[in-house]
Amino acid sequence: MFGTISRKLGGNSISFWRITRRQDGVVLLGRIVERIRGFSTVNITYIEPTGVEKEVQAEIGENLLDVAQNNNIDLEGACGGELACATCHLIFEKDLYETLPEKEEEEEDMLDLAFELTDTSRLGCQIKVREDFKGTKLRIPDDGF
Amino acid sequence: WKSSISVAIVGSGPAGCYTAKYLQRYFQQADENMSISIDMLDRLPTPFGLVRSGVAPDHPEVKNVQNDFSALFETEKLPVSFFGNVKVGRDVSLNEIRSIYDIVVLAYGCESDRKLQIPGEDSLEGVISAREFVSWYNAHPDYSHIDAVVSKALSSKEIRHVVVIGHGNVALDCARILAKGCSKSIGLDSTDIASHALSTLRANDTPITITIVGRRGHIQGAYTIKELRELTRLEDEGYGAIFSISPDELEFGSTQSSLKQLEKSRPKKRIDKLLRQTAARNGTLESVSPNENLVKLRFLLNPVSFEPSLTEKSKLGFVRCERTKLIPHKDIPDDGQSQIAVGTGEYVDIPAQLALVSVGYKGVPIGGLEHSFQKEKGIVQNQGGKVDGEGPGLYVTGWLKRGPNGIIGTNAVDAKETVASILQDLKDEKLPIKNNGGTAKLTQFLHDREVKVVDWGAYQMINSVETRSAEMRNEKQPRNKLPTYHELLNAAFPRDPRPV
Repeated sequence: MFGTISRKLGGNSISFWRITRRQDGVVLLGRIVERIRGFSTVNITYIEPTGVEKEVQAEIGENLLDVAQNNNIDLEGACGGELACATCHLIFEKDLYETLPEKEEEEEDMLDLAFELTDTSRLGCQIKVREDFKGTKLRIPDDGF
Repeated sequence: WKSSISVAIVGSGPAGCYTAKYLQRYFQQADENMSISIDMLDRLPTPFGLVRSGVAPDHPEVKNVQNDFSALFETEKLPVSFFGNVKVGRDVSLNEIRSIYDIVVLAYGCESDRKLQIPGEDSLEGVISAREFVSWYNAHPDYSHIDAVVSKALSSKEIRHVVVIGHGNVALDCARILAKGCSKSIGLDSTDIASHALSTLRANDTPITITIVGRRGHIQGAYTIKELRELTRLEDEGYGAIFSISPDELEFGSTQSSLKQLEKSRPKKRIDKLLRQTAARNGTLESVSPNENLVKLRFLLNPVSFEPSLTEKSKLGFVRCERTKLIPHKDIPDDGQSQIAVGTGEYVDIPAQLALVSVGYKGVPIGGLEHSFQKEKGIVQNQGGKVDGEGPGLYVTGWLKRGPNGIIGTNAVDAKETVASILQDLKDEKLPIKNNGGTAKLTQFLHDREVKVVDWGAYQMINSVETRSAEMRNEKQPRNKLPTYHELLNAAFPRDPRPV
């Protein structure tokens, strides 16, 4: 038996997956067509705890934890983005912070535990890159080392 | 000319793993002439410490960090080597390891308990620590004996009573797992709870009342809001357990100093609000209906003794508590917030067949720490992670360094501090690079002593047995933990003819 699923990811990427079920019941997934990358990225900067600034091209719609980890930025994401820790904590510039979507209760609960919490703190895994993030600087809390 | 530094980390929980992560990362990015070799030892055949044996079965997302940690051992450049089933102090001494490795980092956490030191604590059946209870339901191979204790204590055919002493997340975890495990409808089947624990908790469907007590007020509680919220949702989520808080006990704790404490802390404000909402909804302390399970969160009650049952003198029957009140702390300069709980002379006897003491984990010493181990606190004396008084090359991270506090992520910051100290000492040339054999020497020792070392590959054998779908109760169960050394080592070495 075969099945084909097409999924639209983000604004501009498409992936095709082919599912094959073998007679012994094993399911294989094959990516036939790689993501067709849209050119919708914006440049944002992460300021690492050491003070080093790293500018990256962030894909619109991707969350800030994934963007960081895909670009070798020193940002932990212990729970993998499931609101079960506070390690992907980022500090935003005030103007941008105020336009971000409201925090859900679960994020608020986790932020209560974050190290060096500020008034413009959010969990990176909950924030998706938008066009208007262009040029913004995100600070990773200084852990003192 | 290549210089290589050998490191041994004792303990493979979050403290050990974050330490390995930052050391590995530094050397992966460093000059090709500098190299590091990291060996991580653990006395259990399985790695990850409390992520496996402490995090509650119904918190699977919290365990995701294991993926991050697994990468340490699977990476191509400078992978960490796992030495499981190797106990420092039994199979090899700390002094031996220090002689063959350039750097040793102690990350073995806290394996014993802070005690209440009240009568009956060690003599009555049915009084155990929360740590033992948690280890038991998480299938830790050293705690299967707890099964008989819990089973016996919960065997009554009349309403069963459990008292949990402490106001931290461990106490709330115990109450929640009991409530869910003893639930008549949905339970913990779809979690990785130990099979024996699941059946012991389900064996008796007589209603159960779980009372959590602590000597201070609700604003001083060490718990966090996520865990409190889970208790408020037990009823709505179908576990058939009412969560009850006394409005009076909230008021008694709302002293001026407490309110000041509240003002300065957003997390505590949110907790206060949640608890008041709960008290308004379910304010009575007695069971709503005799067929429902009940979880009560109580405050300003200080346990003063464990009392025997009237019918069976060797068993726990009551926890005698003294009502406390909060007064300003005399010795702390007036910051308006610091208080202590003092007795009022009024006593309350709370019935209990099982008491779980949850007032803190505590570290234990091993040979070679005679100058640095602080017995009272159960930690190793250190400056920024560098151990005091035992000579160069010895470091410490995690709970053994700072005490049993924080969440998994707290160890990341802690590890950074210790790694910074190590790197500074390397730069300042305060660490003699011995080139004394490291991994090869350790492997030789262990081979000569006939220790069955579980390396990463052998652990993957355990992993695949534990995640084999044929073993599962249902499709959703993520893992079926093997609860004994025998089963773990048989899984790790399937073709080994020698009996384990």
